[in-house]
Amino acid sequence: MSIKRSLSTLTLSGFTLSALLILSFINILLQNVATNIERAGDGLLKLNSSEGVANVVTTVVVYFRGFDTLGEIAVLFIASLGVGLMLERNTECTIKVQSNFMLQSASKLLFPIIIIFGLYVMIYGHLSPGGGFQGGVLVASAVLLLLISNKDLEVPHAVISALETLAGVSYVLIGLMGLLLSDVFLFNFLSPNIADFGLLLSGGIIPIVYIIVGIKVGSEMGFIVQNLLKRSDDV
Amino acid sequence: MIGLIILGTFITVIIIAFSAVIEKRVSHSIILFMGVGLGSVVLFFVFKAPDVALTEAVIGSGISSLIFLMALKHLGEKA
Repeated sequence: MSIKRSLSTLTLSGFTLSALLILSFINILLQNVATNIERAGDGLLKLNSSEGVANVVTTVVVYFRGFDTLGEIAVLFIASLGVGLMLERNTECTIKVQSNFMLQSASKLLFPIIIIFGLYVMIYGHLSPGGGFQGGVLVASAVLLLLISNKDLEVPHAVISALETLAGVSYVLIGLMGLLLSDVFLFNFLSPNIADFGLLLSGGIIPIVYIIVGIKVGSEMGFIVQNLLKRSDDV
Repeated sequence: MIGLIILGTFITVIIIAFSAVIEKRVSHSIILFMGVGLGSVVLFFVFKAPDVALTEAVIGSGISSLIFLMALKHLGEKA
C-alpha cells in the first residue's frame, strides 16, 4: 500500500515538474523562434556554398562530420550483428507470419511506391530533405512489407552480406582516397563546382557517399527485420 | 494562431507520452509510442527541421515500433 501511495505522489510530482519545465520551454521557443533560426541558417548557408550542395544538413552529416557517420554505420552494423547472433540458436519460438488477402494485394500495390520513394530520398539526399539513412530504412520497410505478406519469400543471406560489405569497403576506400590526394580523411577530391548548385550531379563525393550509406543502412535494417521475422519459423 | 496549433500539438504529444508510460498492455503502449513519434514529426516540421521530421517518421515511429512489436512476439507474452 505504502509503495503504491509513494508511487502516486512521485508520479504527481513528476507531472507537475515536467509541466513547469515544458511550459517554460514553450515560452522560450515561442518567443525566439524566427530570429535564432534565421541566424543559424545564414551562417550555415555561407559554409554550405563552399561545397555546392543545396541541403545544409547533408553537408554537415556527410562532409564536415563524415567520420562520425562512419562510426554511426559501425554502430548499426554491431546492432544487426547482435540480433543475428542472439536469434540464430533460438529454436523455441513459435510465431508464424500470417497474411490475409488484403495484406497480399495491398503489398503488391504499395511495394513499388515505397521502393521508388526510398530510392528518391536516397539519391536526392543532397538536394532535398532526406538522405542515406532515411532512404535505406524506407527500402528496408518495403522489404519488410514483402516479407510479411509472402510467407515463403526470403532475401538470400549472400546478397545482403555482399551489399553490406561492398558499401562499407567503398566508404572507407573513398575516405582513404581523400587522405591520399589531400591530407584529410573524406576529402572532397572531385572538386565541386559552385555553378552546378542544385543539380543532381553536384557536390563532388557527397551524393556518392550518401548513396553508399543508404545501401549499407538498408541492408543492415533488412537483415535485422528478416532475422526477427523469419528466424523463428524455420524450426 | 500558428503558436496555438504548436502548443496544442505539444500538449497532445505529452499526454500521449504519459499514457504510453502508464498503459498496462505493452502492445498498446507501443502503438501510443508510434503516436508520440507522429506528433513530434509535426513539431519538427513546424520548427523548420524537415530532415529530422523525415528521420523521425521513418525510423522513430515507423520501423523501430515494428521492431518492438516483433520483439514482443518473440518474447511470447500475452501482452
